[in-house]
Amino acid sequence: MSTSWEDLVSTALVGADRRSASPGEVLEHAAVEVVRARAGRRTHPDRPPAPAMEETRPLASRAAGDRLARMLGGDQARLLPEWLEAAAAIGVRVPAHLIPGLLDLGARDRSIRSHLGALTGARGRWLAELNSSWRYLLAEAADLPSGDVWEFGTSGDRRVYLTALRATAPGQARELLEQGWEKETPEDRAAFVLVLSERLGMDDEPFLEAALDDRRREVRQAAADLLTRLPESRLARRMAGRAARLLVADGGGLRADPPKACDSTMERDGVRPRPPAGTAQRGWWLQQVIARTPLTFWTGHLGRSPEDVVQSKIGDWAREVAMGWTRAAILQHDPRWARALFEVEPLTDLLAVLPPEEQSARAAELVARHPVDGQMIMMLGGVARPWGPRLARAVLKKIVETSGTQPWNAGELIRLAGERLDPAMHGHVQEIPELAATLRFRHDMSKELS
Amino acid sequence: MRRVIERWSRDQVLSLAPDAASQKAATGVSAPGKWSGSGALPDVVWGECKGSGATPYRACVDLSEPAYKCSCPSRKFPCKHALGLLLLWASDGVPDGGEPAGWAAEWLEQRRSRADKQEKQEKQEKRDGRERSAPAKAARSSGGSAQRETRVSAGLSELERWLTDQIAQGIAGAPQTGLADWDELGRRLVDAQAPGVAGSVSRLSRVLGEEDWPGLLLEEYALIHLLAVAHRRTAELPAGLAETVRSRVGFPITREDVLATPWVRDEWDVVGGRDEEQDRLVARRIWMQGRATGRVALVLSFAPIGQALDASLVTGTAVDASLAYYPGASPLRAVVAERHGPVAAARPAGTRLSQVPGRIAEVLAGDPWADSWPVVLEGVIPSKESLMDEDGNGLPLHPAGGALWRLLAVSGGHPVTVAAEWTPRGSRPLTVWDEESQVVRL
Repeated sequence: MSTSWEDLVSTALVGADRRSASPGEVLEHAAVEVVRARAGRRTHPDRPPAPAMEETRPLASRAAGDRLARMLGGDQARLLPEWLEAAAAIGVRVPAHLIPGLLDLGARDRSIRSHLGALTGARGRWLAELNSSWRYLLAEAADLPSGDVWEFGTSGDRRVYLTALRATAPGQARELLEQGWEKETPEDRAAFVLVLSERLGMDDEPFLEAALDDRRREVRQAAADLLTRLPESRLARRMAGRAARLLVADGGGLRADPPKACDSTMERDGVRPRPPAGTAQRGWWLQQVIARTPLTFWTGHLGRSPEDVVQSKIGDWAREVAMGWTRAAILQHDPRWARALFEVEPLTDLLAVLPPEEQSARAAELVARHPVDGQMIMMLGGVARPWGPRLARAVLKKIVETSGTQPWNAGELIRLAGERLDPAMHGHVQEIPELAATLRFRHDMSKELS
Repeated sequence: MRRVIERWSRDQVLSLAPDAASQKAATGVSAPGKWSGSGALPDVVWGECKGSGATPYRACVDLSEPAYKCSCPSRKFPCKHALGLLLLWASDGVPDGGEPAGWAAEWLEQRRSRADKQEKQEKQEKRDGRERSAPAKAARSSGGSAQRETRVSAGLSELERWLTDQIAQGIAGAPQTGLADWDELGRRLVDAQAPGVAGSVSRLSRVLGEEDWPGLLLEEYALIHLLAVAHRRTAELPAGLAETVRSRVGFPITREDVLATPWVRDEWDVVGGRDEEQDRLVARRIWMQGRATGRVALVLSFAPIGQALDASLVTGTAVDASLAYYPGASPLRAVVAERHGPVAAARPAGTRLSQVPGRIAEVLAGDPWADSWPVVLEGVIPSKESLMDEDGNGLPLHPAGGALWRLLAVSGGHPVTVAAEWTPRGSRPLTVWDEESQVVRL
């Protein structure tokens, strides 16, 4: 009887009886074949992957790496973005064995991606080429020697290059962008337009006006957002022309008359015709036109100061008008309007327009005056770290007051305070052990990364 | 004698935890703020951990063993406080120097005097053991053991018949009837006091999920049949192979008998470990390699899920010890008979990948049933599917393991030292040493 392995398997499948073979012999031959095959297995020819490039950054200290491992394991995971930011600032890279965990996290959470390119170094890129769920890393910037970057680099590297050039020679950066504009991918065009938001000026206006006709919606939107910040731009003037008819003084108050249609010129200027679910169409158009109208227009048009404008009675469509101004204050980075609007309604997004000390001071006032609720916690979430001493005191007081009556809100405040207070305070908050522990953790963390 | 023990990594500490919950709990108590009065000498770490009660828990670890002591009432071992203290120490958070606190010094003193006593006793036993081992063996084949021999023989003949019947009728129906058949067969083999074979039978169900299950099932049937035949003909086998057959069938061997074999003293690198759940137990496998002898060893321990496992051998450390091997033709499993002390950890010496097939052939020549063998390889470049050397020889990875991203990350396409478990279906990497010779568990 033949003893090739395939024959043995087929005999075993259909049954030795049908092949007139001895079942005992089949088993014995099979045993010989199995062991022979296992013992005789040779290595197979294979080609190793091309090695990763040399690293240019030094490795983070062992203590810093161990802390990162802890955080990836779930300990104080909310502080991970701060670790990444601090590590990126001192120019180190993470230990190689932690890269997969970090890249997995980045695949789920876009917000941490921007530092991963530099922190995972050449090894990170090498891995991203092998694992499709980490490909996003190739779009993030790493440290590469400049020079040919604009011609050969990844999108991330080119964005960094363009940003740096924009900071020193804004005109040159725009001209460089204009030269190859037609050949850029839609994703890159959208990303590169945003680079122009630094040192934006009327010199950029013709280019941006042309970008309003781009094929990609993100590009058109970004260009329209930037033009809004230039009160002399053609787009700003067209918007002001529309706005003049939509909102007028009416005795002591204001009267709104939303657009009846969204024509193609409005659409070209960035007004989106379809409202999100649950929003009235005309109100949506009104809100967007106001958001894209230069805020300086209103003081002349209505003959009132920003503070008076936002306090005026409006009647119908008041909500849409207020939302339009809020969006405009944020888009146009206008602190005076943001301050005025914040007085009426303390929205987190408005705080971001104010200088850090003022953010902290205004938040402190609010915390002192109002009981803790979800809105206050949202608002505090928008106040950048580190919180100033006044806000720190106000929040600590609130924590002590509410821990007995509203433990859930106190818990949220403790978590936020842990992330935002100056870690040097860790010795002064012993009465709140969870907060002290988080601050101590951040304190040690920043020592390891300095 | 005191020697400097290299600071362990966080990973190494966590590998000592009895389960994932303990790892998490230990991380929770590893914050510096929780500890007071902590200190470290070259071979001991101690500290007091603030708990929920009024008095802090006192934890102390003797690093040379390692051995753990804590005043908390936890049944887990090592408890979260001992592990938390080690994590703190691993992250450089325990100040060096100082004298151990009174309670810690007391415990260490007790341990040392107990160790001395035990050492004397064991030396005495070893002398006695040599003389006693002959009568012990004789006792094994009389009385209750004789009954066992009869039962096992009967069970294995039935198994042999059952297997030949399967092959006679054909195994095409195994996906439908296999599970019930093997369950029943496994039970009968347990009753026949052949737990080793029973285990092989109960693991048969694993092949049904595979695409080439007929071939894999024939492999398993053939090897189980070979074992049954080998047992029937034990008398004709060389002594080592006969021992292998007995242990694979499942005859127990006492620790005393194992300790009665000649000991192998060496500086052993602990090259890898893995915990696996099986039948409501956790099996901890620790693989070691001797620096002078080049021999490999497997130290196996079991515990019910969530309970104390042997935490005395830490991957990436090294120990000067005498090992006693279980008898057999390709001896691998061993017990630590005597520890002489820790030695400085280092990247273990590895063999070239091209030598692996030859080594595995030798192992199988001794023990044809061997399905796991540790290998330490140097100069290997891992890819997603295999381990390779720079000459283009490749060893496939076990297909169920998936891509090993940590291994790939540490290597980055450059040659590294890897400890792996060889299995007939491919290798399972266990440990890799990075550019700075730091150990990384996979």
